Amino acid sequence: MGEQELFWVMSPVIVLASLTLLFARKAVYVLAGMIVVMIGLAVFYVTLEAPFLGMIQVIVYTGAIMMLILFVLMLVGVDQKESLRETIRGQRWIALAAATGLVVLIVTTVYRIELPIRDIGGMNDGGNPQVIANALFGEWVLVMEILGLVLISAAVSAIVLTHLPRSGDRRSQAERAEERVRARLNPVNKPMPGVYARRNALDVPAIDPEGKPVPASISRVLKARKQDKDGSEWRAIGKDEAAE
Amino acid sequence: MTFESPIIEWAPLAPVLIVFAAAVLGIVIETADPKVWIRRRLQVALALVATLAAAATAALQWSVLDGDGTRVVVDRIICDRHSLIWMVMIAVFAALAILLFSSRVGGDDAFAPLAAAAPGSEEEREASEKGLAQTEVFPLALFSVGGMMLFTMVSDTLILFIVLELISLPLYVLVALSRRRRLLSQEAALKYFLMGAFASAVYLFGAALIYGGAFSTSFTIIDTAIVQYHGREALVLVGTVLALVGLLFKLGAVPFHAWTPDAYQGAPTPVTAFMAAATKAAAVAALIRFLYLAVHRFEWEIAPVLWTIAIATMLVGTVAAIVQTDIKRMLAYSSIAHGGFVLVAVTSFEREALSAAVFYMLAYGLATLGAFAVVGQVREVTKDGSLGAEATRLGQWAGLGRRSPWMATAMAVFLLSFAGIPLTAGFIGKYVAFKAAFDSGGWPLVVVAVLAAVVAVFFYVRVIVLMFLTPVPEDLKDAVEVTESTGPSLVVGITALATVLLGVVPSVVLDLASNAAILVP
Repeated sequence: MGEQELFWVMSPVIVLASLTLLFARKAVYVLAGMIVVMIGLAVFYVTLEAPFLGMIQVIVYTGAIMMLILFVLMLVGVDQKESLRETIRGQRWIALAAATGLVVLIVTTVYRIELPIRDIGGMNDGGNPQVIANALFGEWVLVMEILGLVLISAAVSAIVLTHLPRSGDRRSQAERAEERVRARLNPVNKPMPGVYARRNALDVPAIDPEGKPVPASISRVLKARKQDKDGSEWRAIGKDEAAE
Repeated sequence: MTFESPIIEWAPLAPVLIVFAAAVLGIVIETADPKVWIRRRLQVALALVATLAAAATAALQWSVLDGDGTRVVVDRIICDRHSLIWMVMIAVFAALAILLFSSRVGGDDAFAPLAAAAPGSEEEREASEKGLAQTEVFPLALFSVGGMMLFTMVSDTLILFIVLELISLPLYVLVALSRRRRLLSQEAALKYFLMGAFASAVYLFGAALIYGGAFSTSFTIIDTAIVQYHGREALVLVGTVLALVGLLFKLGAVPFHAWTPDAYQGAPTPVTAFMAAATKAAAVAALIRFLYLAVHRFEWEIAPVLWTIAIATMLVGTVAAIVQTDIKRMLAYSSIAHGGFVLVAVTSFEREALSAAVFYMLAYGLATLGAFAVVGQVREVTKDGSLGAEATRLGQWAGLGRRSPWMATAMAVFLLSFAGIPLTAGFIGKYVAFKAAFDSGGWPLVVVAVLAAVVAVFFYVRVIVLMFLTPVPEDLKDAVEVTESTGPSLVVGITALATVLLGVVPSVVLDLASNAAILVP
């Protein structure tokens, strides 16, 4: 009831959103497109009377995995540009031809197939999550165990590739402060952006007692993106006054 | 609604469970974080005992097996004689590979002391001086071995996918852990990972289409569904071709071979040996089970695809190997070609092919392990006189017969076996594989295979000539050294002996292999 209508409404949305994967210039847009795709799939699952799967789709994929990727992008991806240079000539066209072939093959096959309408009434008797739980811990329990082993090896692999044990002794805050004074570095915190300036936006550098901007007060991410200001137009003493 | 306990026959899983238990125990040892030298010894001992015990248990099960096999989980995981013989083979390969993993040349093993440290960084130097070791490689390898052994029993597209991931994940990481030439190693791992993830996705797509057509993931039910459900078998057929891509990727068949040379060259040599021998054996075992149990009714439709792939694999592997100047890359291309030769047998869809594939992979795997063990022993000497990276340029192998006669002789045996010269295991392997294809009417394929094998002799013999008939170049006299450490020497000795024995008296193993030519649906 209404399932077909919903399908024809949602599927163009999903297809359009998935096209961002091919055409969007920035990784963040791709991610936003993927989130739309994931939520769209969740809608399909719920209308097909698989509410548990739909919820998991939203919670795990949209909520956890996509957000994790977003964090990773924010942390490491800002000052890196993607190289679009092709190392193999004409790769794009070869890939396009192969992909077209696959699409034609699959579309023609699926078009010719007549799938019978299966009566799956009573499939969810006792509650949808309960039915899934029975399947996972009954018939498929061995597979769940194997998945546990996959997770162990994935976790250990991630630790092996990324975990650096601390080298040397742990130094206390007092020792580190002392070192900084000894080395004649700035002994106190860096000023926040916008301190003593005329605006306190994140991209406006703080002003020191002499009225000069403090570049260290701005996040290095903004600098990498070239979104910072040099601060001259927001000095406590304006440009013209300083000139006088 | 009531919960029904599943019926699982645990006993046939014993060899796999031993390996997995040892892997998990290895992780527990890591978390306890004992001193490096204790940790290393514990891990090596545990891994060796586990793989040998697994091989012994599987062999014991073979001898007490009543009938053809046991259904561990009905329609999904089946332990028969065919899977048992593969399991023994994989466990033995793994034990030999563990010996290579644990070997140290000049006090250093083949793995990075601290994989997380950036190549060439201060931390890396410090870790190397402190003598740290990344002993997680042993449990990781065990996870992969357990997965490979399970792989040979799986009769279900979904479980096959999950076990495929269990095999691959540790391998991706192991490839990245080379002690020397680390950037090359990390690049190789990334390539392998991206391509592997892509191949897995294609496989999953295929499995989904099969499910759409057959309403099941079980091989047995797919088999009957192909006949019963007229009008939907096209969906199963398209799905089958896509699923084959995932399995052929692991085998390294052309055109899914692009990762092989880079991954084999960049990986630490013990890992290369392990991948080339054990992973390929597991891939062939799973390929056979999938082709022969699930989709053999599509023989007529799939055969042209498999024929094309087999021919392309043999030709590309052989031709590309001729022009290589790096011994590891040459062996990588040669292993691609061997994937093609074993496909020649598999495409026949005959019972003979089952035993032929087993024998072929045994002969190939032993020679591969031995050959890479030798590669790991030929080292460059750095300016300050210490041992450096492996000398893999072919030019550096000139006159190896003078430097270490018995290592060079063993290498010659492996190369002759690869080439399929009589009195080596490789000859019998090629003979039974080609015979299986010939008897089922695949003579054009056999003609191509024989031609490829003849061309391949060229580059194997070239290395032998280089080792024995070329004098050591003056400028390389002190720049290359062959170390003969215990572990690899043992592996080289065992595999060389086995290669010759299998070539001279193959009947024992051939009989076992033909007993194993039974697949229980």
